Amino acid sequence: MTKFFTRLAVCLFFFFPLIANAQTTISGKVINDKKNPVIGATVVVKGKGTQSNSSGGFTIVASKGDILTVTSVGFTSQSIKVGNETNLVIELQEASIKLDDVEIVTAMDIKRNSRELGYSVQTVKGSDIQQTQRENFVNALQGRVAGLTITPTSGTAGASSGIVLRGFNTISGTNQPLFVVDGIILDNQTLNSNSQSGSGIGLASDGNNRNNDNTNRIADLNPNDIENVTVLKGPEATALYGSQASSGAIVITTKKAKGTDGKVLISYDNSFRYQKETRFGVVNNDFGPGSSNNIPFTSPNATGSFTSFGPRWKPGTTFYDNLHHFFQTGFSQTHNLSAEFGVKNVAFRATGQFFDSKGVVPNNTYRKYNFKLANTTKIGNKLTINPSIAFTNATNIRPLKSSASGSGAGGYLVELYEWPANNDIRNFEDNLGNKNVLFNTNRNSDFDNPLWSAKYNKSGDVLNRVVSTVGIDYTPLTWLSLSGRFGYDYYKNDGYLFVHPESFQLTQATGGSLDNYYRTYKGYNHTITATAKKKFGDFSTRLLTGTVWQDFETQQFAIVGNNLIDSFGKVNNNMYKFGMVIPSDFLNTYDSSNTARISRRRLLQNNRGLPNVNIFRELAFFGEVSIGFKNVAFLTYSHRFESASPIPKQNRNYNYPGASLSLIMSDIFPAIKKGNILNYAKIRASLASTARLNDPYSNQRFFVNNFSSTNLPTTYTYNFTNANLDLKPEKQKTFEIGTELRFLNSRLSIEGAYYNTLCKDQIAQGYRASYATGSVLNTTNAASLRNQGVELTLNATPVRRKDFEWNINFNFSHMWSEVLTLPESIGQLNDFYNSDTYISNVRGGLIRGRSTGSITGSNYIRNNAGQIVISSLNGVPLINGGTNVFIGDRTPDFTLGTLNTFRYKNLSLSFLWDLKVGGDIYNGTDQLLTNLGKSIRTADRSTPIVVKGVLNDGLQNTANPTVNTLAIVPQYSSTYYTSLPDEEFIQKDVNWFRLRDLTLSYSLPSKTIKNLKAFKSLSLFVTGNDLILFTNYYGADPAVNANNPGTGGVGGYGLDLGSAPTPLGLNFGLRANFK
Amino acid sequence: MKHNIIRTILFSTILSFVGLSSCKKKIEDAYLNPNAPVLVPIETVLPGVIGGFTAFNSAAGTNYGLQIDDVLLGRYVQYWGSTVAGENYGSMGGTIGSDNTGGIWATTYYGHGQNVNYIIQKGTEQQKWDFVGVGYAIRAWDWLELTNQYGDAILKQAFDVSRAQFLYDTQPEFYDSCRAICFKALENLNRTDGNVNPANLAASDAYLNNGDLNKWKKFVYGILARSYIDLSSKNIFVSKNYADSAIKYATLSLSNNNENILATFSGLNTSNGFNSYFGPTRSNIGTIRQGGYIANLMSGANTGAFTGVSDPRAGYMLSENAAGTFKGVAPWLGVSEYISGTTPTSGYPKNFWRNPVVSATSGTDDSAKYVFGNRGPWPIMTASEMQFVLAEAAYRKGDKTAALAAYKNGISLNFDMLTTTFSFKIPASRVITATSKNAYLNNPAVVPATAAGITLTHIMLQKYIALFGWGTHQTWTDMRKYHYVDIDPATGNKVYADFTPPPTSPINYLITTNNGKYVYRCRPRFNSEYLYNIPELTRIGALNTDYNTYECWFSMP
Repeated sequence: MTKFFTRLAVCLFFFFPLIANAQTTISGKVINDKKNPVIGATVVVKGKGTQSNSSGGFTIVASKGDILTVTSVGFTSQSIKVGNETNLVIELQEASIKLDDVEIVTAMDIKRNSRELGYSVQTVKGSDIQQTQRENFVNALQGRVAGLTITPTSGTAGASSGIVLRGFNTISGTNQPLFVVDGIILDNQTLNSNSQSGSGIGLASDGNNRNNDNTNRIADLNPNDIENVTVLKGPEATALYGSQASSGAIVITTKKAKGTDGKVLISYDNSFRYQKETRFGVVNNDFGPGSSNNIPFTSPNATGSFTSFGPRWKPGTTFYDNLHHFFQTGFSQTHNLSAEFGVKNVAFRATGQFFDSKGVVPNNTYRKYNFKLANTTKIGNKLTINPSIAFTNATNIRPLKSSASGSGAGGYLVELYEWPANNDIRNFEDNLGNKNVLFNTNRNSDFDNPLWSAKYNKSGDVLNRVVSTVGIDYTPLTWLSLSGRFGYDYYKNDGYLFVHPESFQLTQATGGSLDNYYRTYKGYNHTITATAKKKFGDFSTRLLTGTVWQDFETQQFAIVGNNLIDSFGKVNNNMYKFGMVIPSDFLNTYDSSNTARISRRRLLQNNRGLPNVNIFRELAFFGEVSIGFKNVAFLTYSHRFESASPIPKQNRNYNYPGASLSLIMSDIFPAIKKGNILNYAKIRASLASTARLNDPYSNQRFFVNNFSSTNLPTTYTYNFTNANLDLKPEKQKTFEIGTELRFLNSRLSIEGAYYNTLCKDQIAQGYRASYATGSVLNTTNAASLRNQGVELTLNATPVRRKDFEWNINFNFSHMWSEVLTLPESIGQLNDFYNSDTYISNVRGGLIRGRSTGSITGSNYIRNNAGQIVISSLNGVPLINGGTNVFIGDRTPDFTLGTLNTFRYKNLSLSFLWDLKVGGDIYNGTDQLLTNLGKSIRTADRSTPIVVKGVLNDGLQNTANPTVNTLAIVPQYSSTYYTSLPDEEFIQKDVNWFRLRDLTLSYSLPSKTIKNLKAFKSLSLFVTGNDLILFTNYYGADPAVNANNPGTGGVGGYGLDLGSAPTPLGLNFGLRANFK
Repeated sequence: MKHNIIRTILFSTILSFVGLSSCKKKIEDAYLNPNAPVLVPIETVLPGVIGGFTAFNSAAGTNYGLQIDDVLLGRYVQYWGSTVAGENYGSMGGTIGSDNTGGIWATTYYGHGQNVNYIIQKGTEQQKWDFVGVGYAIRAWDWLELTNQYGDAILKQAFDVSRAQFLYDTQPEFYDSCRAICFKALENLNRTDGNVNPANLAASDAYLNNGDLNKWKKFVYGILARSYIDLSSKNIFVSKNYADSAIKYATLSLSNNNENILATFSGLNTSNGFNSYFGPTRSNIGTIRQGGYIANLMSGANTGAFTGVSDPRAGYMLSENAAGTFKGVAPWLGVSEYISGTTPTSGYPKNFWRNPVVSATSGTDDSAKYVFGNRGPWPIMTASEMQFVLAEAAYRKGDKTAALAAYKNGISLNFDMLTTTFSFKIPASRVITATSKNAYLNNPAVVPATAAGITLTHIMLQKYIALFGWGTHQTWTDMRKYHYVDIDPATGNKVYADFTPPPTSPINYLITTNNGKYVYRCRPRFNSEYLYNIPELTRIGALNTDYNTYECWFSMP
């Protein structure tokens, strides 16, 4: 198949130029009425286009008689017939109607006029992303697109970010959108630690995603290469992309090489950033260690945990500000260099970025190099090819959140909160490099000092990625264009997770553990389309047909071992190798050869010297027909036929339709434009189905390794999952209606949309039915849910003067959802959940009739009247801990992003406020601290408490229950604290108002620049990230996620335990263009 | 030019059909998991199943089995207790919201589950009747252990892969099914035709019976014997010939210590599956200490049995303290009585790995003796136990002479097991000699001089000692038959002399949600049933906070 299309491409290459018309290259300059250059204007001939460069110049290939269309935001479009002249000066008039005929890159890298679109798209300029200075560019999108939610996993360097468009549509598959760069699908996996018992491509220790974070791979993209980002949220937009875009698509266009008239144009910019952690959980440090109940003794602290239910610290005890001793000032620097060069038909663009970051958490570093070379070559006047090659190298070191097999509770942050206040955490190791202990002689039984933990329990990975793409556009006939996008995405990602032999997370006998993985990704995909356009009187028609082939393969070697060479049993518990003490930072600590050979485990195929592989293949054909009437009404119908490898053969071929309608009401009824108040009005509607797939192999039952004593070389056991050979793809149906309105010469524009998505036959992957099936997990089509929302975008320019302009942009989103059905085996009040979201006892569980953002956990036992039932023996409330029930909903009431941009002469200021109202958060950190007697809740433990409720004396459900009068003095009964139900730690209706990004930049006036001979332009900027946070949340930072995006389904957003909060960042730098 | 286009389109169309079929094939090729096998030899499946008796350990799940639950159930029978005061299981509490005490549930349905089915199915196809017999034997053991621990559970609908909801069956059905499967097991174990190959079985069975079909048969008889003796407190025990059946099968079962069913561990490395869950390497039982009840019973401090007799076996089975004596903890108090000074600190018992630092929770290398070492052995069933089955059944029938003989034999076999199987790490001063053994057996405080003197207390308490450490499940069944504190009408004293469950006054140490009742069953495994099957759990009452106190059928009159 791949070969075939390569051949076809070759055919296209060689046949069509022969039949091409004689063409000429036209160069020109776009200026405004003040004769200043218009930068970035789009110049189009026969559907192919270019953009004017920084001096307004452009070159384009056209034939005599062709119509050249020049458009730019804020200007009326101009059409010019190509004559003999090859050097044009086009003057654009400032538009009274802005944003009318803007071309938007939609699915399949197809540019379409915004008028035609019957669905919602939103575009973010690359420069806006760049100026936020965020290394993971997806974090810059938060607040800029209505209906898009970004949740970073933590505030550490190299943290992943979950991206969700319009809510959660699948209960166990991925809700991440598809990333398409220049028409090529790029990989955005996050390493999923779960290897499905060694049968998949996770870690050999088969861990979970609560304990460590890995970058989401789209973050490898150089933000500086981005020209713009189009977010396709609507159904019709994504119908063409198929099942993988069922959660939307993020379509990125990179900067293209442009003509420079033979000059080499160089630009350079940099940014230096300081980061500081300012948000912490509240810890009470009044009490010293002690087991419980203030029994007048302190037991030999046998467990190594710092339960602070002991006596109050003696007056005069020295306390240490450990919170501030832990975090450090983060520093990062970014350097961007780009060069452009172009002659008549050939242009090159080379870019490079160096990014180096030291995080606020000690020993957290992230270093990245990006290089890209892009070319645009025109052959004749009908063929354009755009090859590019991009290289990324990234190295990321991160302290572990918890051990690979831990439950998510643990890791440096939790340890930091737990640490006794009378001990200085900075004193964490002795001069031999051993962990200092507080309560135990056995280091493994004593808690890990957070600084020690951050230094010695860590993970790291190195990435090398090459993305090569070729775009071919061919226009053999005036009405026919063919285009091909071919991409090969390849990376190697090697990493490790290391838990030190002396860590509390492991027993002494384990002697440390080391996971290594060696991952290779090879993703080929191509999209080939043919578009025909014809006009028949008042009707314009467009027919698109195409095919997509995807072949994505991830290979992985992974190994885990323990008993790091000679790591125990020697003097001082130092690590030894070949009889030498190994310094902690020696080069090869993280080499798997340091583990005891006999303890090593590998992924299944690795035992045979082969990698485990995960292959996804998909073939699709699609067609789209559009009919436009008088350029005021557009109807589009599309259909996609798809076949993909994870689905069993009998259900593997599926197809789905999409349709959309766009009516330009202001042109149909021009009367409404009278008075120049309303200038433009469009209504639109769209409707589409799509499918969604399971993870490869998730419906299959097979054997995995058993590790019981045996004399045989390999033994086997069935894997967790029950076989389901009749699995079908999920079905998703969406309709959307919307409007676009522009007022007052487009000084004000409003866009609104309502959508309604019904997802049926949801694949419940990894749900736990009774073990009586003989399996633990099951994959079946067994759930449905509905997702609805309203989005409003408002753009306004309250002031537009020569020297001063103010733009304001609001992105409002309100969504709601309901789980309609679940596997029948789940009780009406019980939940379906993804075990990765199991944080302590709390999890993101789904319950029928509730929102997808539900949190489930334990609650108080209540009587029929809803009063808390209390033990008649000791006055402690009774807890319903048997099953998890609904205790909170993470879904916000609404979110509102507000972006202000001010420009005064050469000074510009922009800032983005991100408002979230409503939505609950589970404060697991506080629950942990409460259990340890370190929460602020436990500060006043000597005042008797009489819990409001009724006694469990048999009368609790009668008309006259006994009101509780039993007093508890928590000082003498810490069980009051340790048995509080999870619902106590749900904070309802958490709001935040956050200043995400603030940028002040200053361009040096042209006069000054003239004196600086080398520069064409020079500007300076200061950018702040997350500078201000107003919130009613009592924990550290409400923007939390307990999982990384490797977790499917709804994931762990709003579950707060052990994640480092987002630090505050301050960047400054300069931007220069050279002559 | 037109011609060219038409030709190209035609050419492309043909090519795309060719391409289409090759794409479809590539897609089909990518469907099956390339990393894992779907069919494997049954010989490679049995070792994991055998490991599942004690503590299942695989890439797809670990820690299901006897040993996992024993750590907690041992607190109900007071073999040991946690060091922490007021600990849930020491206070006879049940499991709420976790998989604790769900080990046997997971073993039966999952760890053994389809793996055993696979052995039986493929073994039948391949006429490996020895493997088939072993498979049935394991399934029979599963049903009995399962129902004794949880009461009602899933039987008829078990292993129906297309089902999402499962109904529960009652305990008598499990007993019947267990026995029926025992006979199927025997039928297959008796076959020598087809591809029965002892050497082949031995390779897979290296860490249990080493392919000894005779031992497997005796194991099955032992399961049958257990299935009858477990009903000894029923009124119909004698009249329905259950006593006779118990005697018959116990007689057919293990008769000497060479036949003991012992799970062993390779100790090949520190990996969990290669080491006993109770061993120092895995470090799971560092925070438990032996119970005061067993310590007193073996050191002569029990006022109702073996009073004043120092049991030579204590040096093998129990952990001494700094004073060189054997003391234990009350499971609901933990070690608080030592720390608070109520009991002298010198009595503070060391952990089972005999770390000389009394408060230590780790071992020192493999200093552990008895069943607490890394390599076991961990008995699943012993000849000594069968003698106590005989003794109890004979006693119930009124045949005190046979009861006394079996009783004495049971003690003797237990002594011999210690001196042969568990002779390691015993200080010279504590080594059992023929003299010390005989002295014990001839002590009238232990073995009554005449048959008339034998009581249920004798039998049940010697069985309690003989099963210490490894036989927690069976001991819990035994104690529940006598409702922990039943009075023996023959003596007017408790059958389990001096046994005190967590007291309710003056301070209430019994977990409050028990509503004053003792523990009688475990809840079904949380992650298997409590996310699922809520209607069925509601029907059997498993959502009630005192479900753990519901008495099982086997101990009802």
